[in-house]
Amino acid sequence: MVNFLWGNIFRHSRKDRHLQAILKECPLFEHLSAGELRFLAEIVHVRSYQPGEVVFFEGEIGVGMYIICHGEIEVYARYNDEEELVATLSAGDFLGESSLVEVESRRTATARAKQELKTIGFFKTDLKEITARSPLLGVKILTALGQVLALRLRATSEKIIELKQEVNRFKESRPTP
Amino acid sequence: MILSNGERQSIIRRNQRIKLITFLGVLVLLIAIIVLVENMLLSSLLAFVMSYLLSPIANRLERTGVPRWLAVTMTFAGVSLFLFGFGFIIFPVLAEQISSFRLDVPKYIEGTTRLLNHIESRINALVGDFYAVNLSEQAEDILIAWTTSLFVDLPRVLSNSLTTLFLAPFIAFFLLKDGRAMTHRLFGLVPNYLFEFTLIVFHQVNDQMGHFIRARLLEALIVGLAVFLGLWAMGFPYAPLIGAFAGLTNLIPYVGPFIGAIPALAIALVNGESALTIGLALGVFGIAQLIDIFLLIPVIVAKIVDLHPLTVVIAIIIGAQLMGVLGMLISIPLASAFKVIFVNLYHHTLNFRA
Repeated sequence: MVNFLWGNIFRHSRKDRHLQAILKECPLFEHLSAGELRFLAEIVHVRSYQPGEVVFFEGEIGVGMYIICHGEIEVYARYNDEEELVATLSAGDFLGESSLVEVESRRTATARAKQELKTIGFFKTDLKEITARSPLLGVKILTALGQVLALRLRATSEKIIELKQEVNRFKESRPTP
Repeated sequence: MILSNGERQSIIRRNQRIKLITFLGVLVLLIAIIVLVENMLLSSLLAFVMSYLLSPIANRLERTGVPRWLAVTMTFAGVSLFLFGFGFIIFPVLAEQISSFRLDVPKYIEGTTRLLNHIESRINALVGDFYAVNLSEQAEDILIAWTTSLFVDLPRVLSNSLTTLFLAPFIAFFLLKDGRAMTHRLFGLVPNYLFEFTLIVFHQVNDQMGHFIRARLLEALIVGLAVFLGLWAMGFPYAPLIGAFAGLTNLIPYVGPFIGAIPALAIALVNGESALTIGLALGVFGIAQLIDIFLLIPVIVAKIVDLHPLTVVIAIIIGAQLMGVLGMLISIPLASAFKVIFVNLYHHTLNFRA
């Protein structure tokens, strides 16, 4: 739909506009102007995967994030030597963003394509290039990244509080010997 | 149609193999074109040097909000204008020096031979009974061969490579403007399981090369300038030529600085300069080297991958045997690139998938 509406405004190819529309939906890039999105679209990497193909392995050094264009990603984490499905992500979702700022961070789960999958890869080196060529755009993206990471941190903290409360309730409910 | 897990995996593996072969094929083809097509190697090397030198300027311009193509065009236009103006001042001086030096060359060769004859007769007077030393004959041949290669081959190479002189900036312009898009296309061919790794290694090598080329050229410029200023202040003949030569040879590690001092020493000895003048001239080279070692290397060259001195010397020898002076100059950046690639491959295979 969006492509159709933008059809006559930009002379860029349909594919690129589609790419920009997907980027615009990602919280990391939602504040960017049309020009900035065009700049970004030239920098990111579009990758295709076969069903069952691995996007990244748990334990691997991560160097960037992926946004799903279409298809689904299944995320597996290893518990006691057994792979367990922890999440299924679909178009518009993104993963791995913390590795954009972490040093030598390792992937905490394995991501595998469920069907034919197309992703947009955005990596540390891309972020570095953006800050070198357009620092203002770099600041915008880094601020948004900070907000995303803060939200994740808040969600994690809330989860911890919830779990603590549950542990306490469990302790209280147990009859004291 | 529902595929079994095994069938899926074999399709994935086959596709990855095809992608890998295509990627490596394109790489090999590019390298083959660069190495095999006449004038291409030198042009591409020069183009890489130019694009590494100019990319910080283009990036800085781009940061002001100018589109990339305009930033690159402005950079090229500005630098050409500067070089043109600079050339107007420096070329007549250098040309005059080179032509007068060329006239003087036979005198210097003869003088050096005479000097060596003198040394030889002294040595022979000492050890002649045991072993006849014959320096001058060999030395004269070597000197004549060297100077011919310098004054006959060099201009020939330069004029033959008018193509190079046009081709190099042309390639550099598009490397700067579209290099990103080109590598992007190439990365598109990399199979998924190697993609992140290729991306990291490429950028590390690219950064290293950029640092290396900018740092070494700046270092050479400052050393050459220091030698020129020192000799010029002394009123030494051919100071600009000797300075330019010293700057150029300074690009070759360890041996370069010594080679750089030879012409000045030869000129001084042949002209029969006083010991004081010779000492002062050598002092100028010494000071330039001290500036290099204690100021330039720690401040601007330190970021470069460090290679062991032995590796450096072996790389230079290999380079010299394969490609002469050009080989000596490019051996070190190439050795550093190989080191970055191999260190990363090793690191990758050991740690990337822990």
